[in-house]
Amino acid sequence: MRYYARKFGFYLVALWAALTLNFFIPRLLPGNPVDILMAKLSQRGGTVDPSARRAYELLLGTDSSESLFQQYISYLGNMFRGDLGVSVSAFPAPVSEVIAGALPWTLMLVGIATFLSFAFGIVLGTFVGWRRGTWLDGLVPATTVLAAVPYFWLALLLVALLSSAWGWFPLQGGYDILLTPGWNGEFISSAIYYGTLPALTIVISSVGGWLLGMRNMMVSATSEDYVLTAQAKGLRGSRIMIRYAARNAVLPSVAGFAISLGFVVSGAVITEQVFSYPGIGSKLLQAVQNNDYALMQGVFLVITVAVLGANLVVDLLYAVIDPRTRVSG
Amino acid sequence: MTNISAVTVEPPRGRAGWRSMLPRWSPKLGVGLVLIALITFIGVIGPLLVGDPNTIRDISLTPPSGDFWLGTTWTGQDVVAQLAHATRGSLYIGLMVGVMATFLSALFGIVGAYVGGYVDEGFNLFSNVMLVIPGLPLVIVISAFVPADQRGMWTIAVVLAITGWAASARVLRAQTLSLRNRDYVAAARVSGEKSWRVITVEILPNLLPLLASQFVFSVIYAILSEAGLSFLGLGASNSSTLGTMLYYAQNSFALQRQAWWWFVPPGMIIALFGCGLALINFSIDEIINPKLRDIPRRVKAAVTRKPEPAPRTDDDVVLTVNDLSVVYQVENPVHAVKDVSITLRRGEILGLAGESGCGKTTLAYAINRLHRPPAEVTTGSVTFHDREGGDVDVLALTPGELRAFRWSKLSMVFQGAMNALNPVITVRAQLDDVLTTHRPEMTKAQRKAKCEEVLKLVGVDVRRLSSFPHELSGGMRQRVMIAMALLLDPQVMIMDEPTTALDVVVQRGILREILRLRDEIGFAVLFITHDLPLLLELADRIAVMKDGEVVEYGAAQDMFEQPAHPYTRQLLDSFPSLTGERGSFVRSGEQLTPVDRSGEPTPSGGVR
Repeated sequence: MRYYARKFGFYLVALWAALTLNFFIPRLLPGNPVDILMAKLSQRGGTVDPSARRAYELLLGTDSSESLFQQYISYLGNMFRGDLGVSVSAFPAPVSEVIAGALPWTLMLVGIATFLSFAFGIVLGTFVGWRRGTWLDGLVPATTVLAAVPYFWLALLLVALLSSAWGWFPLQGGYDILLTPGWNGEFISSAIYYGTLPALTIVISSVGGWLLGMRNMMVSATSEDYVLTAQAKGLRGSRIMIRYAARNAVLPSVAGFAISLGFVVSGAVITEQVFSYPGIGSKLLQAVQNNDYALMQGVFLVITVAVLGANLVVDLLYAVIDPRTRVSG
Repeated sequence: MTNISAVTVEPPRGRAGWRSMLPRWSPKLGVGLVLIALITFIGVIGPLLVGDPNTIRDISLTPPSGDFWLGTTWTGQDVVAQLAHATRGSLYIGLMVGVMATFLSALFGIVGAYVGGYVDEGFNLFSNVMLVIPGLPLVIVISAFVPADQRGMWTIAVVLAITGWAASARVLRAQTLSLRNRDYVAAARVSGEKSWRVITVEILPNLLPLLASQFVFSVIYAILSEAGLSFLGLGASNSSTLGTMLYYAQNSFALQRQAWWWFVPPGMIIALFGCGLALINFSIDEIINPKLRDIPRRVKAAVTRKPEPAPRTDDDVVLTVNDLSVVYQVENPVHAVKDVSITLRRGEILGLAGESGCGKTTLAYAINRLHRPPAEVTTGSVTFHDREGGDVDVLALTPGELRAFRWSKLSMVFQGAMNALNPVITVRAQLDDVLTTHRPEMTKAQRKAKCEEVLKLVGVDVRRLSSFPHELSGGMRQRVMIAMALLLDPQVMIMDEPTTALDVVVQRGILREILRLRDEIGFAVLFITHDLPLLLELADRIAVMKDGEVVEYGAAQDMFEQPAHPYTRQLLDSFPSLTGERGSFVRSGEQLTPVDRSGEPTPSGGVR
């Protein structure tokens, strides 16, 4: 129980840290985002009523007489009510609405691609580590090349090759724009078709890291006494590899999976830029390009909360697969 | 992402192993160094050799030619010149971020772990929070708030360093925590050395390989992140890096216009540089964790052993080892076991004694063919004489036959049951998979009954079946190991230091249990230990090993009364016996028959 309590406590602290960071960044950095926002807003014919200005001021900081602490408390209050302000670039939609429309795309694309990459990497790493000293060792340097390639560069080359030159995949977008989004077969298959290449690029560029990590842990696990015991017991090689070596070697990778989710989401921002994918990453960039600070802050918060949530899930899962954590905490 | 798992490895050295911290030469390291040297050369010397990268000409997007080796850009600029300047910019960012991030991670990882207490808790919490907050979105948000004209190289470098140090800090913390408890560090602390001195003199040198590896990771991370940021249009303004070069190429539709010479080279340089650093990191990883070193692929040496098994000399014998030699085929081959011949009779306990490194464990493993490369059996034979009749030439078994032979005819109890049991599956699962493999015809209920039966035999509560190994005491784990060895009613049991890690009372209990089970069930035991006096009490016959050879072999009683070899007497002398009475008797026996003692202690030269 102590383990779970610690984990929940940690993520509460992390959430608070992210909210606080979000509060202080615009206040500490140069520039006056509120004025820029208000100017933009009136350009678009938005009504600059005092409550809108107040929401922005809470979010982004201002010179008003209110003390920093009071601003902070009111800001936290707004966050818990889910009031992230009004988007300028998608005026008059509230930020929360813009995010809600984009989030499922990113979750599906990044979620599936990450899971596939992790699964491939673990399976390949298991084999490469188990069959050490064979030709499979050659895979290790090959994967590091892939890991060192700038992601967007690789993705753009693949787009040029597979989409522009050979026409196997669509150039960009999340679905055929002639279709109306909805839960029907035609639309879903279109979304899958459009998502394949982005997912493929994510898998290609991240599978090497998992492979290498798993391979190194397999090498260590293979020399453990319990693997020797399993061999002395006359178990079949496949059983020793899976239940004894890989079962232990995968633990650090699972722990690492949680941590790397942050990196994965970061990569997704660039993926969506390359493919003009209608997810949350392109919303973030849209916000940056339009000085839509409210949307930008909102997207950052949502990404952070999603990563923290996924981390928590992985941590809870870890307790299931490693019995030792449940006692020692 | 190999650096995110905080695995602590024990480096096999003390405080003064400077040479062991240099990477071993390998082709990987060579290729890595050449790549890094080449790209550093382009970045450092290149800009001096090429023309102005910004000169605009009216030759838009010309393919590579003699004048322009990599063609020109949309505005007719020389790609080679741009590349040289951009490489310099990227290296500069990578270096700055590498230094800053390594400093931050050392501060939070090493200092926190060393000081301990609330400082460590606080630093660790801070690192973990920084780790789970997604980096690039944070960088984007920060970059977006800084007006473009104030967004220089330094701003970008500082932001990347702030978002990129946390993973390293975790790794460093784990290693520092393990170093902190080493004897020489504890000694320095106790003797009142100042904290900063202990950290810099005792701890930091041992962390150097890890720090180097984390530095390399930071540099890769920085160059890739900067390229990503620039691609999004959020890079340093008024600067030229490989990332900004790619940004301009992409925004001028270089790829759509087939101008690969503009788009491909910057990415290639980043990829090759990252690859070079990663290859160097492999070599550093091998210093940190020697297990990762490449096993050289070696042609199998011609095995000269005669294939024929030893004949059954009399019905009483269950195992014959004849002229067995095991060699570690390394650069200077080590003869770990030399022409050893022993026989094991049904139901007897044969003791195998010798100090660490004398080859006794190697011998035990070779009997069951558990030795791993580079160990190799060069001569001799191992013959198992089945009580159902028939002789088994163990060294000639096919892999399938060997699997069937193991555990059902000959089972093993390993030293230090701590790690001999799989930590993540239950005791039941580990007993059960022996039965599902060797006795596939048994039903689930039968298997359960059998598992409970063997646990009862060794005096362990059957409820322990659903426990995990870490929930059992050391003695209980060893009993579970013995229960597991009993599952298939084997005729031979090899016990390798089964009681060494246990305290004396538990040790006694387990030895009594082994004797009782042997009397009840009648299996033969090859009992390996460094504790010769213990064998005198336990074993029927004893073989004493030294440097891979059996130097004395005979009945325990004879060895007890009349140790023939000087080494045997030395061994008897060097151990206090479990019961003071008998130990003192052995010692006085020695005094009664004085012989020329070889005097100096024997150096342990063998390989386990």
